[in-house]
Amino acid sequence: MDPRTKLIIVMCLSTLGLFFSDVYKLSAVFVIGIIVSKILGGNLYALLVRIRKIMYLLFFIVVIQSFFTKGGSPILSIGDFNIITDIGLEKGLGYFLRVLIIITSGVIITTSRDREMIQGIVQFGLPYEFAFMTAVGIKFMPLLVEEFKDTYTAIQLKGIEIKSLPLIERFKISSYILTPVIASTINKGKKLSISVESRGFRVYDKRTSLVNLKFCNIDYLLILFTVITTFIAIYIN
Amino acid sequence: MDNFIKLKDVECCLDKKRVLENINIDVGKKELISITGPNGSGKTTLSRVIIGTVPYTRGTVSIENKEVKHMTLGEIGRKIGYLFQNPDKQIFTPTVYEELSFSYKYNKELDTRRKESDIDEILEIFDIKKLKNKTTYFLSQGERQRLAIASILINKPEFLILDEPTTGLDYKRKEILSKLFKMYENKLGILLISHDMKFIKKHSHRVISMERGCITGEI
Repeated sequence: MDPRTKLIIVMCLSTLGLFFSDVYKLSAVFVIGIIVSKILGGNLYALLVRIRKIMYLLFFIVVIQSFFTKGGSPILSIGDFNIITDIGLEKGLGYFLRVLIIITSGVIITTSRDREMIQGIVQFGLPYEFAFMTAVGIKFMPLLVEEFKDTYTAIQLKGIEIKSLPLIERFKISSYILTPVIASTINKGKKLSISVESRGFRVYDKRTSLVNLKFCNIDYLLILFTVITTFIAIYIN
Repeated sequence: MDNFIKLKDVECCLDKKRVLENINIDVGKKELISITGPNGSGKTTLSRVIIGTVPYTRGTVSIENKEVKHMTLGEIGRKIGYLFQNPDKQIFTPTVYEELSFSYKYNKELDTRRKESDIDEILEIFDIKKLKNKTTYFLSQGERQRLAIASILINKPEFLILDEPTTGLDYKRKEILSKLFKMYENKLGILLISHDMKFIKKHSHRVISMERGCITGEI
């Protein structure tokens, strides 16, 4: 499938995620996203791991929504304070589902190779530099995550039991993680810019490319179907 | 021999690929042991299995007879100091002084009354006294390397694991590192991971060679 078709599918899914506020409709968009990523050969296991890791976010959003949204029947309360209300739960679930839709969209995009995705964005009419930097950013994400993990490990290996520290101290320690990661990102950026320029990046205004994407009939059909369905869904909503 | 680290029939799989197989190593408390082998042979993974950051799929790994699986990273860190292949990852404060005093803020086992004297002593040993108030971002590769080792040693670990400590160091810096090895000989144990055979032979009681995740020999 042409990466541009995937980009359009992802745009439609994200748009629906923004327009819908009903939990059932958002769940349906999320399920469609999962089905699409499964058909395209996306790594659903990695998706599940990511969801498991951000489960605490759901609880956090639900509590925050319950606190700041007036009305609703309490589901969990301590004294006069409502910890979880039905409206808070519904709104929290809605936000959480939107996050899941974005993650699923990411999985759909990763089913194409970087080079193809850059070409897709370029053939959409966006400048090559913009497409290239986006692809580089995505490519460096796992490295950044590894650096975060290593620094967190290094801090703990100083004999510090982070989990047993008070919450404020834990936040303070977490702020230390940013320093080496930012420093290393700046260094990587410098090295990368030297490297790409030494290979003739932006020497000429227009680039030619060996890779040239062409839509197939199935792409046209899918784009048409996705766009029409999205418009209908928004109109009915 | 008084075993400090013990690995028995250890197997490790990452992304469904076996990266360590049938690893059996006993390391004494004051032993200087080296692991060498080509890139991708599993040396760094092995060291990470020992400190508990990479899980093993079979066998047992223990530090002072306690299985690593049942230890927290903090607990392991109080026993073992670990130098990453890239020391930049473990320097996370703005100045050299703050880096060395970091552990005193949070590691409850360190005596805060000795903080200043310990820092001065370690700065002297590592020849970085003039850098005490310098910003860590502007340190050279060699200085960062020494600071990383110094910040590990200030924690007073019983054992050190050094992953490629000679990478990027010139002859003079390697000599400084050699002096440190001599200084700490018989005071703490060291597991050295390196390609530098000359350096390894000079400082090790025992050398283990690895290839494709297996131990292939011992000198």
